[in-house]
Amino acid sequence: MISISNLTKKFDSVIALDDVSFSVPGGSVLGLLGHNGAGKTTVVNILSTLLKPTSGTATIAGLDVTTEGDKVRRRIGLTGQFATVDDTISGRDNLVLIARLLGASRRQAAQRADDLLTVFDLTDAAKRPVRGYSGGMRRRLDLAACLVGGPEVIFLDEPTTGLDPGARLDVWSLVESLVAQGSTVLLTTQYLEEADRLADLITVLSKGKVVASGTAAELKREIGQLSVNTVLAPGSDTGAALAALRAAGLTPVTAEQPDTIHTRVLSSADITVVVRALDSVGVRVTDVAFSEPSLDDVYLSLTPGRGATTAA
Amino acid sequence: MTATVTSGDVRTAQVGARPNWSASSILTQVQVLSGRSLRTLVRDPRLVILSLIQPLVLLILFGQVFSSIAKTPGFPQGIGYIDFILPALLVTTALTSGLQSGVAVTTELRNGLIARFRSMPISTGSVLLARSVADVCRSFVELSVMALVAALLFGFAPPGGITGVLGSLAVAAVVCWSLGWVFMAFASWLRQPEILQTIGSLVTFPLMFASKAFVPISGLPDWLQGFATINPLSHAIEAARGMAMGKPDLTVLATAVGGCLLIALVFAPLALRSFRRP
Repeated sequence: MISISNLTKKFDSVIALDDVSFSVPGGSVLGLLGHNGAGKTTVVNILSTLLKPTSGTATIAGLDVTTEGDKVRRRIGLTGQFATVDDTISGRDNLVLIARLLGASRRQAAQRADDLLTVFDLTDAAKRPVRGYSGGMRRRLDLAACLVGGPEVIFLDEPTTGLDPGARLDVWSLVESLVAQGSTVLLTTQYLEEADRLADLITVLSKGKVVASGTAAELKREIGQLSVNTVLAPGSDTGAALAALRAAGLTPVTAEQPDTIHTRVLSSADITVVVRALDSVGVRVTDVAFSEPSLDDVYLSLTPGRGATTAA
Repeated sequence: MTATVTSGDVRTAQVGARPNWSASSILTQVQVLSGRSLRTLVRDPRLVILSLIQPLVLLILFGQVFSSIAKTPGFPQGIGYIDFILPALLVTTALTSGLQSGVAVTTELRNGLIARFRSMPISTGSVLLARSVADVCRSFVELSVMALVAALLFGFAPPGGITGVLGSLAVAAVVCWSLGWVFMAFASWLRQPEILQTIGSLVTFPLMFASKAFVPISGLPDWLQGFATINPLSHAIEAARGMAMGKPDLTVLATAVGGCLLIALVFAPLALRSFRRP
């Protein structure tokens, strides 16, 4: 549905995107992962026809974004940091405005706005100016706004940046229901956790280049830093605990404190394996935590080898 | 539809709808977008009230303090200074209204609202056109309030009567619309409200004061007289004044309106070009 090949974008002398290629199959979610300045928003801006690429091509549903902009714009919905709603008018007026611009009659626009307000749980705030909305409400309205025309392709540019944990979970579940109805989604995010939860495929951008791509599981396996961290009850036999874990086929290492054990695992399901192994030798555990590689780990492990691995 | 808004099924069913609307016409786009800007003003009229303060201060200042100018030689006989000054104030206030079009454009370019519009299948031109239409409507309301206040408090009663005043208001509206394009061109090019404000004062003050606005042109020093004669605002002021006085001069009116439209014709394409730039 989305296809990008050898896309390069230069701003004067700064190279924002350097030979980026990837594609997103219809009905799937691609997570574009990267820090600030990695080039995520530049990709979204080119795909949503706001920016022209310096070289390379990008197509949406087979339509070239530079030469068939108007047809592309009929198929996309954009939401995120750099495309927003009018905060001086009400949430409902915003949705009606967008629907009218997309060609709906007054009645159709009002109907669509009310439907979306209900779905996004904004009915109570519908007539208040957006200025007074909380961060989470605003983001929900942003999402609703990009869905007014029923786009086939949706761009979510850092949809949860700056939201509190509750609002973030809310947005996640909304995105999941969008995906369930078959939209193709390009999601940019700084959070590995978010990409992991929402995306089928992840592409990692660093300084304008693609440094890794694959499923979340593949990336994590590549980085290999999934671990279960257990804190043993005071007075436990650490030696016996380590032996039991090794006997279960795991690779434990003790951490700085003798009663904390890090165990490398392949997935979060291995938590039970760890706990069972310790239980079998009567070691009591006071705390269990599962730790995943962070985006920093992804960078640390991928960036140094970049020069060598991108020779092709 | 039920109250179970959090149910995934309800969401999927409703969000998944793909409305089959046909593209909106440019006329609808302009109408909808200018309606949006005007609705903001109805909800929050502070901008209208604030933008009336400067002309009212000028009205008091010139109408009361400088009314002795009406006694200077060369001043048209039998005319009150307020009747002389108000049509000019309508035109110069219309100019500052045009500046506000530019400021609004920079704000919306910055906060991302325009990015949303540009990612939609609508004409970018209608975004600017709608802004100018909305600002002319706003300006017309502001100027009418101003004329009313002047009539009620300062004895503004020009010989041209209500028809004449409406004529002056129409000239002022043309000024607001055409010079609005100049400021929108600067706004789309510079994209910084602060810089635009500075440029705005640099442009508006000479145009306002080196004109026929506050004193008859013969009262200006020689070197300023030259500028005041070619100043497009001078012609607009003269035309507006002629209307209010009940002696409209068609040549002056044509020069004023023609000059303004020429300015719009030059700056509108420039504004559009800069506006389309990402």
